[in-house]
Amino acid sequence: MKDTLLIKVRCFSQVKYALEKDKLTITLPVGSTTGDLENTIRQMAKNKLDRIHLRVAVNQTYIDQPVLLKDGDEVALIPPVQGG
Amino acid sequence: MIITEITEDKIKPFSSPDSNTDDTGAELVFNGRVRNREEGDEIIALEYEHYEGMAERELNLLARKTIKEFPVHDLFCRHRVGKVPVGEVVLHVVIRSKHRAEGLEAMAWFISELKKQVPIWKWAILPDGSKRPSQCQSE
Repeated sequence: MKDTLLIKVRCFSQVKYALEKDKLTITLPVGSTTGDLENTIRQMAKNKLDRIHLRVAVNQTYIDQPVLLKDGDEVALIPPVQGG
Repeated sequence: MIITEITEDKIKPFSSPDSNTDDTGAELVFNGRVRNREEGDEIIALEYEHYEGMAERELNLLARKTIKEFPVHDLFCRHRVGKVPVGEVVLHVVIRSKHRAEGLEAMAWFISELKKQVPIWKWAILPDGSKRPSQCQSE
């Protein structure tokens, strides 16, 4: 049984700008949550996202509370949107 | 009826038939355009990026919610993505309702929610061609 998860991360706007990537794949231990992933991304961004509120979408659906991640999930950390 | 669309093409207005229902007394049209300044700096365009798939679904979900919450007959919306030069239309919305009051209210709510829910972002394109994430969070 695998003890790690492969998570596909989509990056937009300020997250893309901070990481200089629009997609990445992150390996996390089984049992990791969206909160763990957000912490990892914020660390990777080296304080550039410190003052930016990020919502989370898992497999293209907004979630309001941290959830356990599954192998192969697609997660986006969504900075404030700006349509219109 | 509901039509929602996210497109890279220049916005074409929805056609406006003389009458689609005898009960429609008001037809509201909103066109949102790109301004020439961003946070005080001159820009030549905004580049809109969207989360493909999710943005289309959230926009349609929002349109359905609007029709459910407000007594309006039709809601049509086109949102442009990609590079949009200053002065061009980026958001086109048509709402038809029995009276103007409910149509105006629905229009204000729909656009306000779009700016909170639909995963679309803009990048400011400066005169030297460089780009940066827009800081604009205006309603």
